Amino acid sequence: MLHRRWQLLLILPVLVLALFLVGCPKRPATTSAAAPAPGAPAPGTPGAGPSVAGPGAPGAPGAPGGAPGAPGAPGAPGAATTPGRPGAAPSPREFTAIATLQDIHFDFDKYDIRPGDAKVLDENAKWMKSNPNSLILIEGHCDERGTNEYNLALGERRAKSTMNYLVSQGVRANRITLISYGEERPQCTEKTEACWTKNRRAHFLVKAG
Amino acid sequence: MRRPTLALALVAAGAVALAGLLAAPRPADSQAVDVFLNVMAGGAKKLNIVIPEFTLVAGRDTQGLVKKIPDVAGADLKFSALFSVVSGEPPLPADDPQALKQVLTESAARGAHATLHGLLTLKGDRAEAEMRLYDLTNPEQRLIATKRFDLPAADGRRLAHKIADEVVYQFTGEPGIADTKIAYASGNVQTKELFAMDYDGAGRVRLTGNDSINLSPVWSPDARSLAFTSYMRGYPYLYRLFAFERRPIQLLAGFLGINTSPAWSPDGRQVALTLSKDGNPEIYVLDVATGTVRRLTRHPAIDTEPTWSPTGREIAFVSDRTGTAQIFVMDAEGANVRQVTTVGFNTQPRWSPKGDAIAYTSRQGGHDIWAINPDGSNPRRLTAGPGSNESASWAPNGRHLAFQSNRLGSWQLFTMLADGSEQQPLTRGGGEFTSPAWSPRLP
Repeated sequence: MLHRRWQLLLILPVLVLALFLVGCPKRPATTSAAAPAPGAPAPGTPGAGPSVAGPGAPGAPGAPGGAPGAPGAPGAPGAATTPGRPGAAPSPREFTAIATLQDIHFDFDKYDIRPGDAKVLDENAKWMKSNPNSLILIEGHCDERGTNEYNLALGERRAKSTMNYLVSQGVRANRITLISYGEERPQCTEKTEACWTKNRRAHFLVKAG
Repeated sequence: MRRPTLALALVAAGAVALAGLLAAPRPADSQAVDVFLNVMAGGAKKLNIVIPEFTLVAGRDTQGLVKKIPDVAGADLKFSALFSVVSGEPPLPADDPQALKQVLTESAARGAHATLHGLLTLKGDRAEAEMRLYDLTNPEQRLIATKRFDLPAADGRRLAHKIADEVVYQFTGEPGIADTKIAYASGNVQTKELFAMDYDGAGRVRLTGNDSINLSPVWSPDARSLAFTSYMRGYPYLYRLFAFERRPIQLLAGFLGINTSPAWSPDGRQVALTLSKDGNPEIYVLDVATGTVRRLTRHPAIDTEPTWSPTGREIAFVSDRTGTAQIFVMDAEGANVRQVTTVGFNTQPRWSPKGDAIAYTSRQGGHDIWAINPDGSNPRRLTAGPGSNESASWAPNGRHLAFQSNRLGSWQLFTMLADGSEQQPLTRGGGEFTSPAWSPRLP
């Protein structure tokens, strides 16, 4: 009885491995569902931390000796393009702020564009259209009064609303990249309404195209 | 000689916890559980346990483990809120039955219900401890359990935690939670790195060092790895790190937009997460082995912060589809969405490992931690200021929660019982500490 159980334990991993080996080549190298890799790390990407391997290697959880991101694993970093949009986004470090592009601000917990801020965006859109080769990064930010994870989603929605407005003003969507910082990069750290108002913002950076 | 503090035993906290314990499955050998239930039936809220100094059987005790192990195990048992602990007494005369009986009888006369004694053997860099647990509620002072633990001598604290967890197991039928870790984020406005420490705050270890923002650590069910969001490559992608192994950090999801709010499925094969790759923050499930993702929510509002029920059949999440952030529950396939909270602004749902409650953060002025039954009944406030109290994480037994609070000025980590009682600091200054993640029991 015990003996048979041991046999099973030995056979199971072999079966799992065999299944993977058989199944692997059938999977397309990139599908819209495969976790894509981000673009190749830009120069200056922090390299101080542990090295980063590819996405979920088969059998990675708990598989002793199963090297994560084994060579040839589909979707290894740099091997896939990001689905949904052409090309991978440049690193945020390649973008710089310019004085012409003004921040806009949001009401507490909201991500709709207020009429006064629409006027600011109209001016920003003018600059973007007259500099058609520059790429634009829109940062979405929140004040500290939400909770961290929710604010990452809220910041994303703020950046997205901002982008939608600019696109409606004739700025091409494929020039725009979004990044949400949630509440992680406040402009102002006092615990006052004036400060929170400043932090609930969409901020613009550009990169020469 | 100190008397067991019965005053401590009267803290109301025990009541709720005990209800859960009585329903817990009992081990085949349930003598110790009987002791516990008998004591509780007598009206006591806690079981009084004596933990004398351990006896050194062989070797040289350069670290003072004969004192340190009982001290740490005693602190663990106090933390469990199931025991009152008397410590500091001399070692038991383990090899003299007459003298042993005499000491145990005296302890019983002073109100003790049990005695935990340890015999320590130090060999090279190993420490072997044999624990002996005596029932003092009957005249024979029965030896209820003995168990040996063998660890590197440098892991004295862990040896103590394992002994404490075994004592809790003997008396309740479920192991304690002392042999666990708590991961957290710590840093400043520009960078936040991830760290881990023992559940009692000892032994802090840095887990990331990439000079960017690292957020939302969550332990995999096997307690070996953590999923987390990091800006190490510029954008908020989802990664996995192995806390105790020399293995590279693994990218789990690097889609355009946010890759945030990870939650492991109970079987560890999937991670529910928030992606905005299709234009709006929605909840997806990632198959960890293949990297494929499956979309669960389809709504123009924000959907984020998934958390699995312990059966894996349901997922709670946050949505602002009714105008403000509220907690919802859906089947693990994304169907059958129902609203759980209706009042206030509610985020950070965390399903209890026992399945019977969802802890969450509610903003009504400041933030406080609440819990609610998964069917939306019995919303109850667990913290009531001061300051903000956020980001709850359940201990694996569902009896304790870790959370972050700025009640003392800066963000620090705290723990409490599941009914909100016994709130106590886990970190005390020296930086800001946020996003606690309580590990499952360590392998």
